[in-house]
Amino acid sequence: MGRWLAMLVAVTALGALPGAAALQSSETAWREIAWPFPRDGWPAGRAFRCDGGECLGIEVYLRPKLGFCNCDGGVADDDEVDRVSDLDLISERFIPLRTGEPIRVAGMAGRVRAYDPRIRGDAPHLAVGIAVSHRCDLLVAVAHGAAAADEVQRFAAALLDANEIRRWMQSAMQTR
Amino acid sequence: MWGYVRGGTIVAACLLAGLGEASAESQKIGAPPEALNMRLVGSNDLQARSAYQPTIHRQGERWIAYIGHHGGTDETPAPVNPQTGKAEPNGTSIVDVTDPAQPKYLRHIPGQEGKYESGGAQMVRICDGKALPKGDRNAVYMLRTFGGEAHEIWNVANPENPVLITRIEGLKDTHKNWWECDTGIAFLVSGAPDWRTRRMTQVYDLSDPAHPVKIRDFGLPGQEPGSTGAVPTELHGPISTGPAGNRVYFGYGTNKGGFLQIVDREKLLNGPKQPTPENLRIPEIARMPMSAMNGAHTTFPMKDMPIAEFARDKDGKTRDIVMIVDEAILNECNEPRQMVWFADVTVEKLPMMVSNYTVTESSGGFCERGGRFGSHSSNESMAPVYYKKMAFISFFNAGVRALDIRDPYHPQEVGYFIPSITAATDKRCVKIDEQERCKVAIQTNNVETDERGYIYIVDRANTGLHVLELTGPARAAAGLP
Repeated sequence: MGRWLAMLVAVTALGALPGAAALQSSETAWREIAWPFPRDGWPAGRAFRCDGGECLGIEVYLRPKLGFCNCDGGVADDDEVDRVSDLDLISERFIPLRTGEPIRVAGMAGRVRAYDPRIRGDAPHLAVGIAVSHRCDLLVAVAHGAAAADEVQRFAAALLDANEIRRWMQSAMQTR
Repeated sequence: MWGYVRGGTIVAACLLAGLGEASAESQKIGAPPEALNMRLVGSNDLQARSAYQPTIHRQGERWIAYIGHHGGTDETPAPVNPQTGKAEPNGTSIVDVTDPAQPKYLRHIPGQEGKYESGGAQMVRICDGKALPKGDRNAVYMLRTFGGEAHEIWNVANPENPVLITRIEGLKDTHKNWWECDTGIAFLVSGAPDWRTRRMTQVYDLSDPAHPVKIRDFGLPGQEPGSTGAVPTELHGPISTGPAGNRVYFGYGTNKGGFLQIVDREKLLNGPKQPTPENLRIPEIARMPMSAMNGAHTTFPMKDMPIAEFARDKDGKTRDIVMIVDEAILNECNEPRQMVWFADVTVEKLPMMVSNYTVTESSGGFCERGGRFGSHSSNESMAPVYYKKMAFISFFNAGVRALDIRDPYHPQEVGYFIPSITAATDKRCVKIDEQERCKVAIQTNNVETDERGYIYIVDRANTGLHVLELTGPARAAAGLP
């Protein structure tokens, strides 16, 4: 029943109107928004937009992808991040900016990599893709905004480290 | 300091209250198999090794089954081989099935160390030396994967004492290969280290198995080295119709984002080989996307099928059909249904799905039984006994299903067989309320047929090999005496 519960909680959260859920810190204000993408092979995840402070406009999309063939090796390299981290939801033409690096999210190990999603705009628009795994399952996140990649990554990492988000990820991944 | 507010929990509670508990029909040790119009002829436990591809080959007066294995389990990473008394990583089982009622285990060739998909030697294909253009006429060659790191060719003319001939290594993955015995051309599912995908195609000339000659690397634009942007779905496996048919049918995806790719074999072999996006597009005739919720494990071509319903039509009496089989990968229905699809590819540039088939879940309470439920693979033998008449689909905990496909616009299930579990059958688990809950169920993984009409199914959950035959109306539908 735990998996059903996790899915239902996610569905419930997604069904809430923007503004019904909010995460706040001294310098940022994250607001949960509706999943902005059409249905694809994976169930929709959760989407957040930062409306305050330095992180104005950064959006983060995260979701579990249950069933991943590299059960032992996990997210082994940057190609894996390119493939699985949902960058293609925001741009089919993304270009990596540099070699990725290891990351841990909610106790799960994986990699993070910075990208130029090649989205037109007045200001430079950069993104980071994150993929971590637990056994045969993945948790992926993509964050983007008109900020330096390091900043996008820093704000995204802070959101993912929030207690409620961490608990949700662990529940969705059945890792608790 | 974070604060968090969320609405909508009432909705969740209401939805939870609506979830009923279906009655589970768990398998029990000692219970008989479940069957309709199929009969168990013989079996072998395959040393309780998780099994993937069976390939049955006639060698003189003998019939030999070669069975590729997945890696070991957490509990038993390397089962003991009773013939050697040693713990051996799962590899390839060689079984004499000349008398299908009494399969005789001949030899186990160890594979790569590793567990589940990470080790073993999943795939196996066989070609006679006398069929290959430059083979030793006295040899019988076995092409097998070695975990994710290599392809190997063995001489199995004496199946009790196989001899390693050659090795193609340095890969990051392997999977479901195809080998043309009359030309020696092999389409190897590999992970070339510099490609952006885990599985793509390496085309080799294996007409002289002792001296493999690489022809080219092939994949989808976006997978090649140095590319950027979205990476297309990885390859699962190809099936070639050889020089006469001049087509290779590639299946991409497992349980997501799948598609069928139809490729001109001649252009693939002899076109420009540098893996540029332009060169990768040249051999492609068509690409048919499936639902994003399904993948393509097997793409089995059946050209020029007469369709009885269309017999009086002035045009289109026969159709070229590709049967596409998805692979279920999650236990207890935690994913969209993976099933069987029939595509009409008569107009190659515009292939179209025309029918589908799935086991009815409620017919066995299969979402409750444990393990995977859904399709995985079909027989790939094109021997006349069943070709274009009957297809056999492995369906994990629903066993194997016999389909009458003479009218591929309306495939009909005419038989099934779900083996009994044994003490060797491994558990399959899901997390419920943060606790692991495990069930034991048959996991019929792959299926193949031989020219005599026997059907061979193997179990992913370590239950072994079952040799079956059709009975009753299903046997009559296949035209067997």
